[in-house]
Amino acid sequence: MLPLEKPQQVHRALAWQGEIPTYNIYTFGIAGERFFRELKEHGRFLGTRCPACHLLYVPPRIYCERCFASLEEWVEVPGRGTVFTFTLAYYDLDGRRLEHPDILALVRLEGAHGGVLHRLGEVEPGQVAIGMPVEAVLKPPQERRGSILDILYFRPTRR
Amino acid sequence: MMRRVAIVGIGFTPFRPLSPEVSYRELVYESAQRAYHDAGINPREDVDSFITVAEDYEEGTAIFDEYTPDQLGAALRPVHTITADGLYAISAGYMLIQTGQCEVVVVEGHSKASNVLTPSYISALALDPIYNRPLRFHPACLAGMEMARFLVETGTVREQCLRVAVKNRRNALLNPLAPYGADLTLEEALASPPAFAPLSEVEMSRSADGAIVVVLASEEATRRLKGHPVWIRGVGWCSDSPTLETREWGEAVYAHLSARMAYRLAGIRNPAREVHLAEIDDTYAYKELMHMEALGLCRRGEAGRLVEEGATERDGLLPVNVSGGSLGMGHLGEATGLARLAEAVMHLRGDAERRQVKGAQTALVQSWRGVPSSSGAVVVLGV
Ligand SMILES: [Zn+2]
Repeated sequence: MLPLEKPQQVHRALAWQGEIPTYNIYTFGIAGERFFRELKEHGRFLGTRCPACHLLYVPPRIYCERCFASLEEWVEVPGRGTVFTFTLAYYDLDGRRLEHPDILALVRLEGAHGGVLHRLGEVEPGQVAIGMPVEAVLKPPQERRGSILDILYFRPTRR
Repeated sequence: MMRRVAIVGIGFTPFRPLSPEVSYRELVYESAQRAYHDAGINPREDVDSFITVAEDYEEGTAIFDEYTPDQLGAALRPVHTITADGLYAISAGYMLIQTGQCEVVVVEGHSKASNVLTPSYISALALDPIYNRPLRFHPACLAGMEMARFLVETGTVREQCLRVAVKNRRNALLNPLAPYGADLTLEEALASPPAFAPLSEVEMSRSADGAIVVVLASEEATRRLKGHPVWIRGVGWCSDSPTLETREWGEAVYAHLSARMAYRLAGIRNPAREVHLAEIDDTYAYKELMHMEALGLCRRGEAGRLVEEGATERDGLLPVNVSGGSLGMGHLGEATGLARLAEAVMHLRGDAERRQVKGAQTALVQSWRGVPSSSGAVVVLGV
């Protein structure tokens, strides 16, 4: 039988508030280590090519997600490309409303099947469009630590 | 010889933005009582296996599957939990009965979303920890980016997406389970502030609390049970690559392939003509259009026009989300697919009251697992 009585006053509804503090490390692995070392030490982007599918994976990996071949051919990719898609984010991660939107974009690097998901900078939200040429702006070499944050943002390509 | 599998019982709570007076276990208990009453079974004697869906982080509890049996009447019985949408559990239950090992299987999904104080942090924890998460962006950014790509690839316009929000919020007015019904106009929707542009506030579903329990039975078992069996004609599921950088953005390939699997089982060749009612994912308004196309309910780039023409209204040629969808009922996490399945079952039984789609004999139900996922499932039902 279903209960006949339920609490009827909201201030009587009790709850315990808990938290979940967890800390992890996330191993870069063979492909990730090579990608981030090259970015940190030389400011260059690397991908791996699948000879069967003719796809150049950025971020690199050691297997093809389409045909499952082992990937061994490493290729340098320029730090520039085009905006594949983007959003103007009016909220930050904490859910706070932003007066000036954050611009998040997936940048297809030249010649690559993938690319880099990052922020756009040195551009007004109203000027961004899909297909717009952009280039990576990196931290100075001594500040790079081997992470995606070694890229500050992408900006419209200067000619 | 394939065994036929039927849905012989459904039970649910109303869906609500808050539920401070009951725990998730009590929500499930209430729904389970209703489902067992509907099917005319005793869970301690008549059920061969139980399947639940849940995600540890959304429950705030590790190894959460340990916490699923009691409130279902499933203690000391075969139970397993799937970390996916409820339609995956329906597919698993369908297969358990197909093996001949089980005659009656119970499926459960619930949402206590209002207890999650930092929901964006949980979906952010679903992002790739090395390439994406360090950027500390709100995960719904991915929906805005996907919508932008969908619009440019298909020629769909923003106003067509807003029409989905208007339709579903209005549909919810007729659904007593739905908390987000609204007599919304297109003008009001157009004025909605941007959230993750081009996505605006009104195009994003809000969360809800609730629980759904479904009883499945073999054809033989249905003969012993009271009630009105609704047959599971096909099931399908599929996952695309999780890598945001390399996966598809402008179309829902996972939905296309899931549907192909389910249609093959169901013997459906022309879904646009053979499906009388579709309950499909609309976590964000554009998703309904993207999913209509992926599910073969129309050609690519056509869904927006169908919504404009009213074809997907309750009295249209192809009613989509008569329940109000997630935009109208609220998003129920991994229980969402089960809420939509329950709606489809009510229509096929002829029990949907003022929402009833007349003469509905075949229904399509589809789920997507939300950002950043690219996976989901499809179930085809018939009477
Ligand atoms: Zn390959």
